[in-house]
Amino acid sequence: MSITITIDGKPCVCEPGEYVLEIARRNGIFVPALCSLKPVLTERGCCRVCIVELVEDARSKVVVSCIYPVERECEVFTQSEKIVRERGMILALLKLLAPDATLIAQLAKAYRAPDLDRLEPNPEGGTCVLCGRCVEACSLLGTSSLAAVNRGVSKEIATAYHAPSATCIGCASCAGVCPTDAIPVVEDGAKRTIWNKDFELAYCEVCGELLGTVASLEHAATAAEVEPLFLCPVHKQKVLAQHLAHPYKP
Amino acid sequence: MIAVEPQRIQSILEAYPPEKRFALAILQDIQHEFNYLPEGSLEVVSARIGTPVAQLFALATFYKALSLVPKGRHIIKVCDGTACHMCGSSSLLVAIKQLLALEPGGRTDDGQFSLECVNCVGSCALAPVMIIDDAYYAKVNTEKLALILDAYRPGGEHDE
Ligand code: SF4
Ligand code: FES
Ligand code: FES
Repeated sequence: MSITITIDGKPCVCEPGEYVLEIARRNGIFVPALCSLKPVLTERGCCRVCIVELVEDARSKVVVSCIYPVERECEVFTQSEKIVRERGMILALLKLLAPDATLIAQLAKAYRAPDLDRLEPNPEGGTCVLCGRCVEACSLLGTSSLAAVNRGVSKEIATAYHAPSATCIGCASCAGVCPTDAIPVVEDGAKRTIWNKDFELAYCEVCGELLGTVASLEHAATAAEVEPLFLCPVHKQKVLAQHLAHPYKP
Repeated sequence: MIAVEPQRIQSILEAYPPEKRFALAILQDIQHEFNYLPEGSLEVVSARIGTPVAQLFALATFYKALSLVPKGRHIIKVCDGTACHMCGSSSLLVAIKQLLALEPGGRTDDGQFSLECVNCVGSCALAPVMIIDDAYYAKVNTEKLALILDAYRPGGEHDE
């Protein structure tokens, strides 16, 4: 049974159990979110940038909108004084953690994050906010080459032993889902280097379009139980069409 | 690939059903057996229970009880919790450095000792507390310290 909640005064129809962030998005209300990447990845609720204030039975609380399921009627405020203050603090802290991340600097500015002069920024610099998107993307692909290693202030995303991973296929999906471009991918035409490992690049045999790494194409083909085809989507279609048109030709 | 007798790791592995939930228990047993997680052991565990090597590495680097570098024959833990700190744990650390040339996180060159700094071990009334292997030492001062350590040196009464 649907219920109606209000977000910043706007009535929004939703199903019980839906997350506040999804409802807001569907209704065109923007809430900043850093670690959530639905529907590609599962919600993780670790960056806290998406907090909103929720008033239920005249009681107000701050909730993490990307993982807060709405159960009954309530009022949600995405820009209340409290939210502006607390989200600003969260962004200020993220900026100290990842002082070189452009996106974080922009968010911190846009959401009026305070200057925390009394705290030292991460002495190693860096752009990773430890959201874990990359780790999940890698695990969804079945490669699981990454993990959050160490703990506390020395926590970081890494491969086992910080060495080139046996399971890494160089697909760069981790880099693709990273909100802050924290994972360097270097390409020189013949090879791609990522996570300290080199990969041969694959090009379309007909038109020469870059397809990715040979290892990632082979990985996908193995998963689909077919032979890898080194063809771009356009030429793959043409080759298959030809094959269908002349099925008995050797 | 394993530097340390593979059959010893194998028998640890076989003590558990090949399921992911036993990852930590297996790593703890390997740690106990070798005093560290020898090179290649994460790979063998991964092959058996299916937990990716990266995740085992994450466990190994998260828990203080697990170590990827060899530990000494005797592990000294000096409590540096609030009470022990107030009662002079830092002078114990200085003394250990003088006596054994050993710093927290390190191991002596002869492999006899390693040293760890830990937080409150729940025996504040006995502060400062030092633990060697499984033995607790209470109200340790620098004189006591030298005697205690001697018992763990090669051939000492606690060095078995
Ligand atoms: S590298 Fe990027 S995706 Fe991975 S945890 Fe850091 S910020 Fe998130
Ligand atoms: S987006 Fe909600 S906690 Fe990160
Ligand atoms: S502080 Fe050392 S035992 Fe509590």
